Amino acid sequence: MNRPASMDPPLRCEGLARSFGGVQAVAGVSLALPAGQVTALVGPNGAGKTTVFNLITGNLRADAGVALLRGQSILGLKPWQVARRGVARSFQDLRLFTHMSVRDNVLAATERSAWFWQPGTGRRAREAAAEAALEATGLATLATARAVDLAYAERKFLSMARILAAQAEIWLLDEPASGLDLASRLRFGQLLKDARARGVAICLIEHNLDVVAELADRIAFLDQGRVLAEGEPQAILRDPQLAAIYFGDRPQEVA
Amino acid sequence: MTAYLASLATLAAIFAILAVTLNFMVGYAGIFSVAHAVFFGLGAYAGAQVALHLVPDALAACAVAALIAGGLSLCLALPALRVRGEYFVAASLGLQMMALTLFSEAKGLTGGLGGLIGIPPPRLFGFAVGALPLSLAALALILLAIAAMARGSFGRTLQSIRDAESAAEALGKNVAVAKALAVAFACAGAGVAGALFALHMQFVNVESFTLEQSVLVMAMVIVGGTGTLLGPVVGAVLLLSLPAGLAFLPFIPPTEVGAVQQIIYGLAMTLLMIFRPAGLVGDLSRGRSEA
Repeated sequence: MNRPASMDPPLRCEGLARSFGGVQAVAGVSLALPAGQVTALVGPNGAGKTTVFNLITGNLRADAGVALLRGQSILGLKPWQVARRGVARSFQDLRLFTHMSVRDNVLAATERSAWFWQPGTGRRAREAAAEAALEATGLATLATARAVDLAYAERKFLSMARILAAQAEIWLLDEPASGLDLASRLRFGQLLKDARARGVAICLIEHNLDVVAELADRIAFLDQGRVLAEGEPQAILRDPQLAAIYFGDRPQEVA
Repeated sequence: MTAYLASLATLAAIFAILAVTLNFMVGYAGIFSVAHAVFFGLGAYAGAQVALHLVPDALAACAVAALIAGGLSLCLALPALRVRGEYFVAASLGLQMMALTLFSEAKGLTGGLGGLIGIPPPRLFGFAVGALPLSLAALALILLAIAAMARGSFGRTLQSIRDAESAAEALGKNVAVAKALAVAFACAGAGVAGALFALHMQFVNVESFTLEQSVLVMAMVIVGGTGTLLGPVVGAVLLLSLPAGLAFLPFIPPTEVGAVQQIIYGLAMTLLMIFRPAGLVGDLSRGRSEA
């Protein structure tokens, strides 16, 4: 199912760094997102996972480092410019268009132009993409409900439906499965597997290690703004030192 | 009496244009401006000057007014739109105060405090036309335009920015351009209302373009129903006819009408916000959308 490893990863970051005041939130993170693979970003709270996303998408300016999308630098671009180059992201707090209908939320994801008309794809194609995203996320029957009236899991799937409809090659997902029950989690997993099979490069921030073990092809373990380890899920998940950091028993530093 | 009612109806249509265009900014794009009267004023002065010095043609006056009000709104909005939410309210407040001073001081263009007098009544392609049908036609056209935009991708873009600006950006929407377009359209509409106002009153001065006027238009939007198509029209008609209606009540002494009107205004606004927080029209449509 996975693409051959020889293919160049569409997104590659090297030495990304960013500090807030005196805190080094991200301290030289290098990361490659290969097509058709799920890369999980794992690490304790405050490790810098979301900051890495914000640096890639242009929501934050990087102090140092490079981010290349298909070989071209995307650092310094505005978030909407990065999005139009094929990077879609979700937010931990979802940020749905609360007072719009479910269908309009998804349709809005297919419409990029700020002008009165949409160049490129026709209206039919956009509507078809939106309907397909609604079907895939199980929201078709709720299409006319307002986003604010949805239940918790439905909101998370609406956030995923927007990403699906955006038809991006890179997905940056910030805790998309948190708080989902088992059935919903399985449905979510299927969405990711389908996208992976289509060659989407997926990066997933996730705290539930069962979800990570089931879905991730690779894990990058972040702590204090650095990638401590990167590799096959089983190797990372079995590493006792990483587990100690993850579960809060940080080894005392020798004075 | 008929003339009085026609004049009142014309004013209602003009203020309805102001309210629906402000609602386009507030209700669809989430941009709260308390400077709508500035663009009303720009349009009024521009329309008056066209009628006084070029041709007394309503179409020409409205077109020039829309261009000037819409164009200047862009120059002023582009830097101001970089700030968000309540900070934009403060920026627009500053603009409103600054513009009022400019209106009073730029005597060559605005006639200063004395205003512009002797504005000829509206004509259309050489024929005399009433201000009422003109205003109603302009209101209808603007409502149609807003309805079309609200249903299309532009309306969705604005609403998505209103609800979650960062998410709209993350989906590839150029938020600054969309907001600037919304502001330019709304302010051009306010300019048209201004030109019609000048042609209808045949006199304009700075008194009509104060902060109170901006707040009154905002109240029309909120009372009628923010983000609804027809709510602001209802709000405009209601708030404009209330003082006129009170003047006809026999048991209120004419000298006290002003005070009674203030009390009723305040009371009605407070009760409305308690019982129908989404506005008169807003509540109904919300009930419908949940059904």
